Amino acid sequence: MLSGLYTALSGMNAHRQILDVTSHNVANQATPGYHRQMVDLRAGGLGASGIFAGSKYLPGGVDAVAVRRVLDTLAENRLVRETALDAGAMTLAINLGRLEMAFTEPSNDGMAALLDDFWGGWSDLATVPGDTAMRSQLLERSQSVIDSLRRASADLDAVALGAQQEIHALAADVNEIAARIAQMNGAIAGSPTTPNDLLDQRDALVRELSALTGAVARPGQGGQVEVSIGGRSIVYGANSQRVSGLGGTLTWEADGTAVLAPEGKAAALRTIIADVVPRYRTKLDAVAAALVNTVNGVHTTGYDLGGTTGRNFFDPAGVTAATISLSADVAGQPGNIAAGAPVFPGPTAPGPLDGELARAIALLADAATGPDSAYRSLVADLGVEVRAARQRSEVQGQVTAAAQQVADSVGGVSIDEEMVSMLAAQRGYEASARVLTTVDQLLETLISRTGVVGR
Amino acid sequence: MRVTNSMVLTSTLRDLNATLSRLQSAQIDLSTGRVVRKASDDPAKAAAAMALHNQIRRSEHRSRELTDAQGWLNVADTALVNGLDLLNRAKELASRAASTGATDAEARTAIAAELGNLREEMIAIANTKYLNRSVFNGTTTGDAYDLAGAYLGNDSQIMRAVAPGTVLRTNITGEEAFGVQASPEGDVFAVIDRLAAAIAAGDQAAMTAEQDNLDAARTRMASATAELGSRGARLDSIRARAAADEVSLRDTLSQIEDTDLAKALMDVKNRENAYNAALGAAARVIPNSLLNYLR
Repeated sequence: MLSGLYTALSGMNAHRQILDVTSHNVANQATPGYHRQMVDLRAGGLGASGIFAGSKYLPGGVDAVAVRRVLDTLAENRLVRETALDAGAMTLAINLGRLEMAFTEPSNDGMAALLDDFWGGWSDLATVPGDTAMRSQLLERSQSVIDSLRRASADLDAVALGAQQEIHALAADVNEIAARIAQMNGAIAGSPTTPNDLLDQRDALVRELSALTGAVARPGQGGQVEVSIGGRSIVYGANSQRVSGLGGTLTWEADGTAVLAPEGKAAALRTIIADVVPRYRTKLDAVAAALVNTVNGVHTTGYDLGGTTGRNFFDPAGVTAATISLSADVAGQPGNIAAGAPVFPGPTAPGPLDGELARAIALLADAATGPDSAYRSLVADLGVEVRAARQRSEVQGQVTAAAQQVADSVGGVSIDEEMVSMLAAQRGYEASARVLTTVDQLLETLISRTGVVGR
Repeated sequence: MRVTNSMVLTSTLRDLNATLSRLQSAQIDLSTGRVVRKASDDPAKAAAAMALHNQIRRSEHRSRELTDAQGWLNVADTALVNGLDLLNRAKELASRAASTGATDAEARTAIAAELGNLREEMIAIANTKYLNRSVFNGTTTGDAYDLAGAYLGNDSQIMRAVAPGTVLRTNITGEEAFGVQASPEGDVFAVIDRLAAAIAAGDQAAMTAEQDNLDAARTRMASATAELGSRGARLDSIRARAAADEVSLRDTLSQIEDTDLAKALMDVKNRENAYNAALGAAARVIPNSLLNYLR
């Protein structure tokens, strides 16, 4: 009969443990990366233990075998991958958005408007070729176009530089996270029981690392994971490799080769630095080169106020957006702008008030392949790319949220559920205690009230 | 599907965020008055808007050239009309000298003197300026004719780009309006000079010959005036068409990049309602759990 006491005790213990786990779940319901835990119960838990070891009676009671995390591994792995894709798409969209801000179009004060003003300056000069004020105004407008090209070029530099700095900061994060994963791997391997909370924390770190670099984790021995980036291992057991972000490129510290991050933030930043910015720089330089070459091509055939010909308007050496400048001939010397077209046959100098060349230059604005159309196609291309990146990021955000929901629907903490399990455990505990009391009373009856007949 | 509290919270928050962002975008449409603010808002519309902005600004440039050309043509036209009056007067004087003045030396001298004045007046007309620039001297600086009547200009043409693909000549050179000095009969000043001399001398034969030359000069000036007039008429029609084009360009641009106020107001109202509904739903759903019912 005494075994009943222990059976009741095992019930009380098991239900107390369920209550403990429930309270742990409720406490962590908002902890990122936490998965709800559950107590595995098994009947007959008392076993052949206690003072009745070796008893011939069947052992009774219940045993709390283990506390385990509830999670769907497939959903968790998918979430890791989607998170990496999401981080990459978002980084790309943000940086492209920054790039777009370098070109404030369509507007009345962007580079397109400045270019139009520049051509308008030539058109005005054509009507009054002798007017120095008009010539000075043309020089001012040319300088505005030059300034705006240079600023756009500097903005491109700034976007690339920003991405490089982000990679630098990212390398420090990667190293820290990798070291912590390795450390936890060690702790997990050395743990005598299943260290659920450590596993949760470690998985959250893996997800973070994956968002940064597209790292993937493979299960190893004793609950450990092996993490690799682009096929090269960064965490193995309790050891981790270090990466370096010096110079804006992610490299392995061990041998200096590039880290081939397949996805995530690092890959997106790499795309910005190595593909997006150079591509738009080429386009911007083409605008500058078209401007310099078309204007100079006409300008060198013209005659200035003093009857001199063969002068360049823009410095022919500066055919990129960063180096474009007025030629030394015309800078600060409005009289040296050639407005007069040569007279044929000859060619000889035209009359001093001839403005035909200025008109010819003004008409370059309508050319189908001039700097204007090159610039417009740059803006249109950028617009399409930014929009596509933003939409991709939005869609990826929804996919990631859906993956999160699927994972949460298995592993998340539900208050209602925990309340029910709390009630059940409480009742179970009360009932077990009641059984204990009853057995105790039976013993009391047996010990105190029996054998007193005739006393 | 098993639903947890944090799932409800995050999805509610995400939906609220999306609804609010739609509301904000409608509000920005309304407050800025523009739907295409960045190229990425609508790349196709943005490209069209940029092309239209460009066309409108180019049309403004041409309109400035057009105004300049019109001013130039008006000044030249007025000058030549005055010149024609002078030539008519000269013709009248010449025929008077031929008929009545032949016997009267004093009258002939007076007529010759008036012709001299008339020649000076004609030189002044030939030196007419527009914005401080002689209209009859081609592309040279300064006056078109000196006091002796010698042409100082050249025969360059002055062009204005007044419409897309249309370049119009705005000037008439001195030689075109007043005759070529080097030709056998000389320019109008030489003709008047010789006419005055013939009248003063009473040389009937010379008088008749110069009267023919005067007629030729008058015809030349009249045709130059007609030429200016026809260019002016062409400019007028170009200006009218350019103005109509610009209005339609601006209209198209406005349709592309400006906010449709009625639509934007409806959007704001609708999205505001949607946002309020989402907030209300969230406020009802989120606080609920079994806890509320357990005692």
